[in-house]
Amino acid sequence: MPGTLAKGAVLTALVAAVLVPLWAVLVTSLASRKTIDAAGGMVMVPREIDPSAYITIFSGGQITQAVWISTLVTVLGTTVSLVLTVLAAYGLSRPGSVGHRGLLFFFLLTFLIFPGLVPSYLVVTGLGLKDSIWSLILPSAISVFNLVVIRAFFMNVPGELLDSARIDGAGEFHILVRIMLPLSKAVVAVVGLFYAVGYWNAYFNAVLYIDDNDKFPIQRVLQSYILAGQSPNVSGAAVSLPGVTAYPPTLAVKMAVVVVTVVPAVIVYPFVQRHFTKGVITGAVKG
Amino acid sequence: MTPSLPGASTDRRTLLRLLGLGTAATIGGATLAGCSKEAGSKGTATQADAIRAVLPTYKPAELLKPDIPGEGPIPDGYLSYPRQLADAITEQPGRGGPPINTMSPWWGPAPPTLGRNSYLAAVNAKLGVEVNPSLQDGVTYADKLNAMLGARDVPDLLCVPNWEVDKVARFSDAVKALFEDLTDHLKGDAAAKYPYLAALPTGAWEYSVWGGRLYAVPFPTDGPFALALFHRKDLLDSAGLSTPTSPEELHEFGRKATDPAKGVWAFGSVFDMVQQFFGCQQHWRKKPDGGLEHKFENPAFLAALEFTAKLFAEGLVHPDTVASKGADEKQLFKSGKILMFQDGLGAWQGMQGERVKELPSFNMQPLPIFGVNGAPAVIWGSEKPVFYTFVKKGLGVERVDELLRVLNWCAAPFGSREFELREYGVEGQHFTRAADGSPVPTELGRKEMGAQYTHIGGRVPVKVKSGDTPDYVADYLGYYQKNIGLMEKDLFAGIKLELPANWSKIIQPTEDKIRDILRGRRPVSDLEQVKKEFFASGGEEGRAFHEKALADNGR
Repeated sequence: MPGTLAKGAVLTALVAAVLVPLWAVLVTSLASRKTIDAAGGMVMVPREIDPSAYITIFSGGQITQAVWISTLVTVLGTTVSLVLTVLAAYGLSRPGSVGHRGLLFFFLLTFLIFPGLVPSYLVVTGLGLKDSIWSLILPSAISVFNLVVIRAFFMNVPGELLDSARIDGAGEFHILVRIMLPLSKAVVAVVGLFYAVGYWNAYFNAVLYIDDNDKFPIQRVLQSYILAGQSPNVSGAAVSLPGVTAYPPTLAVKMAVVVVTVVPAVIVYPFVQRHFTKGVITGAVKG
Repeated sequence: MTPSLPGASTDRRTLLRLLGLGTAATIGGATLAGCSKEAGSKGTATQADAIRAVLPTYKPAELLKPDIPGEGPIPDGYLSYPRQLADAITEQPGRGGPPINTMSPWWGPAPPTLGRNSYLAAVNAKLGVEVNPSLQDGVTYADKLNAMLGARDVPDLLCVPNWEVDKVARFSDAVKALFEDLTDHLKGDAAAKYPYLAALPTGAWEYSVWGGRLYAVPFPTDGPFALALFHRKDLLDSAGLSTPTSPEELHEFGRKATDPAKGVWAFGSVFDMVQQFFGCQQHWRKKPDGGLEHKFENPAFLAALEFTAKLFAEGLVHPDTVASKGADEKQLFKSGKILMFQDGLGAWQGMQGERVKELPSFNMQPLPIFGVNGAPAVIWGSEKPVFYTFVKKGLGVERVDELLRVLNWCAAPFGSREFELREYGVEGQHFTRAADGSPVPTELGRKEMGAQYTHIGGRVPVKVKSGDTPDYVADYLGYYQKNIGLMEKDLFAGIKLELPANWSKIIQPTEDKIRDILRGRRPVSDLEQVKKEFFASGGEEGRAFHEKALADNGR
């Protein structure tokens, strides 16, 4: 069947576009210096397994520390975000709650108006969050997009269900925990994944708010590894910087750091995937 | 607060910067600094006389006689490491003040912080005061800087690369509002109190003046040329290819050397160097009848563009360079996949030293400069310092004195114990000695250093022979001495330029259009159109601004 064949070809090409770079990163991270030099950069064909790049990054301390920080930020951040988002979404999804229209309007307003770099910086430093991992969590604790998705899902739950719970004597908190959340597992899982990936990838806030190297998340460290040794490019002319290019990490080490940053996301996705389509589509379309 | 996921804002700001709306769009103009030049800024130029009046009196530090004396902006060369080191500073710089927070850029994995870093502990013990450095990623330094300056949140000592200065809106206002005026501490003979700061070249100090006052300690460049065209001399020799000495030979070399079947291409990026061979200025040149000529108006630019476009069209440029701005040309060059590419001369020693360990025959050299049709080449360059170090405002005279004493220590010259401690750490811990006495960094040394004291303290630049690159110092200084006469005179040397917003805004889009022409996506004849757009949307304003700056200075 030509149609099926064409579909297969397109899908294969798409999968290849995703897998080939990952493959090259993995193989290069395990390649020896000699193989990398022979290939002139990224290695596609594995010739040996040389774990020295991984030994280097995990013996240095910084990567281990950064993985720990990122894990902490991800777990803590996702928990905080989910609690806040679910509570806000529930409140905003109940037609009778006080001022919910005004509040929702303010939430939505942040879609249009970005507070700006300096005001954000002033607020974060003013709250004493600079150099604290909370500066990576609180500024992005609520994503309005996720809030809208969960709210739409909550609004879709039949009111009769909630009424019957009320008759049985359940309060709002009880309803949220015992009825809403069990019904919304899919959407909560997906939004949790969104948050987790966002926190795991936290980078720019770390550039702004974290001065202490010991508190750098993994993406910030990854960037310093990947770009190490490259002269800054200033209007077309590379600036010569004495001493800067002296000891850049090898390509294998750079790629090993990439693997470390990518692997958690690759592992987590399949587990949440079954909720994925259901959660997003239901939440986004209905309501 | 932040509606998007972390990281997303970078792209948005880049876009805004491109549109020139950075500050206006995100901040509203009320605060001090923003994300790019403020729309409507006309630029300022400080007069050269005012600048000269506040400079420190230059007094060279003669600790050790150089083997190859430098001249002007060329650093001194030393062909051996001194057996006997001198004590450059006898009195501890620290006065018992609180810890000194610093921030400086670094391009690489960050070293461990204070408390876990034996190198910092050793240097701080010598200083007699705790310096607590914060190394920030050099690539995103401007983002951080914008936020910090806007929020008026600066450390005691702040190191700012010269190219970031142009990216910060109203930088001179920020300087006056946030940093200490150092004029009274360093002007004229007052600088003698800090002898190693007084030994920094005057050409570098000239750039450290804002609004007629001295505000920063410069980190002088160790080589004023912007770029060189490096070639793999070892591979050219073994293939029997001679070194090109004219554009025709360069083209011929490209055709002979390129062999896609073997994965070898002659060239990486070369366009900036080709322009210099063709005698094209970097930005402006004085016309014989007065006024300024932009390089786009110079026929040499068109010739260089045609020539380089031909190299692209004939497939003599590596596909990675054709496809992307961020091609890893260093890696391609090291692996022999390209035989020629342009890079800063600062890249030379590190690359040679690293690669020669596995490939003893590896030999990279800058291509000898040649002119075209009998006309001499022009070399782009300037004495602009690499970094400026600013002192936080309002710390009091005594504290500023303590900070300057620390900077003076950090500027201690080659041949002193202080220099060795600063650059190499503690013997036995951070470095061992080679047979000739020169320090060889240990793994710990590489991990812990990060130029944390070097980048803030100026230092008189020197070139010192090292075991892994025995010929480097002589080659490097030889190249400079041979070609320094070709270096374009900086028309604006000593004049502090803060460029108009419209000018800064058109640079990148115009460069992108030129990139398209080089890669054959637009015909070379489109240059006329590009020129027209360039001059209409800020180019003429830039010309008027530059002409006025020259006229105001009687040049």
